Amino acid sequence: MVNNKSNKYLGYLFLLPYLSVFVVFLIVPLIYGLALSFFGWEMLSPEPPQFLGLGNYKEALESDYFVKALWATVRFVVMSVPLNVFVALLVACGINSVAQKRQGFYRAIYFLPTLLTISVAGILWTWFYNSEFGLFNHILSYFDIKIPWVTDPNMAMKSIVIMTLWWTLGGAMMILLAGLSNIPKQFYEAASLDGANVWHRFIHITIPTLKPVLLFVLVMQVIGSFQVFGQTYIITGGGPELSTRVLVHYIYDVAFGEYRMGYSAALSWLLFLVIAVFSIIQFRVMREK
Amino acid sequence: MKIKLTIIAVLLLAVLYWAMLDSGSSSIGSDKIEIKFWNLFNGPDGTTMLKMVKRFNEENPDITVRMQRMKLATYYNKIFVAGLGNRTPDVFVVHSGQVERFKSAKLLRPITDLLESENGISIDDFAPRALEAVSRDGEMYGVPLDTHMLGMYYNNELLRQTGFVDESGNPKPPTNLEEFLAVLKANTYDKNWGFTFTWLRTNLFSIMSQYGGEFFNEDYSQCTLNAPENVAALAMCADIVNKYKYSPTPGTEQSEGWIGFCQGRIAIAFEGIYMLPELNRMDTLDFSAAPLPVLGTQKAAWADSHVLCISKDIDGKRRQAAWRLIKFLSDNSLDWAKGGQVPVRKSLLESDTFKSMEIQSVFAQQLPYIRYMPRVPFGGDFCAELDVAAEKALRGTVTAQEALDIATANMNKVIKRYKDREEFGRIGK
Repeated sequence: MVNNKSNKYLGYLFLLPYLSVFVVFLIVPLIYGLALSFFGWEMLSPEPPQFLGLGNYKEALESDYFVKALWATVRFVVMSVPLNVFVALLVACGINSVAQKRQGFYRAIYFLPTLLTISVAGILWTWFYNSEFGLFNHILSYFDIKIPWVTDPNMAMKSIVIMTLWWTLGGAMMILLAGLSNIPKQFYEAASLDGANVWHRFIHITIPTLKPVLLFVLVMQVIGSFQVFGQTYIITGGGPELSTRVLVHYIYDVAFGEYRMGYSAALSWLLFLVIAVFSIIQFRVMREK
Repeated sequence: MKIKLTIIAVLLLAVLYWAMLDSGSSSIGSDKIEIKFWNLFNGPDGTTMLKMVKRFNEENPDITVRMQRMKLATYYNKIFVAGLGNRTPDVFVVHSGQVERFKSAKLLRPITDLLESENGISIDDFAPRALEAVSRDGEMYGVPLDTHMLGMYYNNELLRQTGFVDESGNPKPPTNLEEFLAVLKANTYDKNWGFTFTWLRTNLFSIMSQYGGEFFNEDYSQCTLNAPENVAALAMCADIVNKYKYSPTPGTEQSEGWIGFCQGRIAIAFEGIYMLPELNRMDTLDFSAAPLPVLGTQKAAWADSHVLCISKDIDGKRRQAAWRLIKFLSDNSLDWAKGGQVPVRKSLLESDTFKSMEIQSVFAQQLPYIRYMPRVPFGGDFCAELDVAAEKALRGTVTAQEALDIATANMNKVIKRYKDREEFGRIGK
């Protein structure tokens, strides 16, 4: 056995590989990006970077494209997060109530889509959503219904939300399910004896006991949703009429389409600020409970 | 014991992996020149190119070409980053629309000397418009390998069914607006459409050009996308979708309508010659091609070229070796054309081999009046604005005039930004 002192250093040794990667690939670029956001630097221009102060930030806030991208992102978060958490909770409760023996089967079914990479899932749904020749509209055509899934600016983001629900439901559900199975059965038995029905038990036992897990899922969903990119990039390409071009997509376009590195760095920091504000609010809420 | 074995196995694997990585970069013989060749040919065209490169390697024992194919989505990122680090591959392919950008980033230098050298290619042998696309101030910055223009594909069966045939009963494709709209009208019923817009960028650029539209003023200091000719062209296209309803509403996937054409439910679509291999795979589709009908006042069709470029960083023997590869590919571009391209060398265009490529020959009829995208460093921004404006108008969200006004204002902001950054001196030169 190793003694306590070398144990302490051993701990650092285990941390070292990740820490070094963390510093090189995250901390350094983060600071570099912050500095860059104050410069005008077009990667393909032979001119050296030019100090602009807050010029990039000013340009972003005045840009219609930035406002549109921010609005698209907020719309996605507002629609996607509550729906995702709510449905994941329903499914988790459902699975929790079936016999232990069969739970594995249902867990696998709901978790399966999560295993697909976004490119596979995205291409699959592109075919489902095709307005003229896609699967969904083909089925709906028997009922004389035609939905402009991704060809209507008002509908496209909703379609992305639906696809995201299918794709990411499993992850949230698994965490919630773990939380649910930790609730002692005696609580429910005692409540039943006192005459509480299913609804009462859900509101007064399940929700309060599950609250920490729920909040965790919520925070992760919000952060993840603000960074949405793959779904819109593959399924709609940001369209129609840029209605689904979210912030990360816009940053990508500016950086790797126009090669305006300074401006895209400023946009990234604005996104960071937005996520930070939301996260702080949520952590506050968490602490109060 | 088990752990030790595992560690040894992992180490062995790591060494093997390392060795494999390393073998890629080690030089083969000291006097053999290795040429790195990057391109974006990912589909069947990549296989064709690989065969050509293999043949080159066999015929030129003193040179080894290592070809790397990359996805278009990240291709330019990689090549730009390599270029900024002075590690550009010896030979690489860019689209003609990117030449200006590469040139202004100082990642290209003229190769006119190589063209005019003993082992060169006569400049007169290139189709003039393709030559223009790679030339600046009388210097050539690359060799166009091909030209891929927009043309009209039509469904033989559907045209026959609706009575658009000549005396001998062969399908008769439209040549002007009147005939075009007549075919569209007759072929729009049930789940069938007369027409579909495919890639809005190429479709609208061609039609606007046919209306006589210009996109910038002469010194490129102002965008003229909202000129009356362009507005009229876009308004006509919007009518096809929204008023006459001959075309499905353009989706967000450029290929959405194209799938319909491939399924035989759409009579006419304008697409590039590069779609030919895909169409040939459709066993049940009976299709033909024709030059674009003239929907405006003059003939015009969008075109682009794959341009073979040489790294600015190489000299002497290496540069000569790179040039031999480029010349070989250009000389043999008939092999390349088979996979759905049109060669740009006049000598090849006149050959019997090319004349036997039916669809390619039809597309090539448009060579005298093909039009390339404006040669400006902000070409990317221009295309993006054109895309959005076309989409908005065709979907009926705003009028053609409004859509193009917004796009023009945005473009002028971009031009101003370039101007402010004192890059303006280089534009349009």
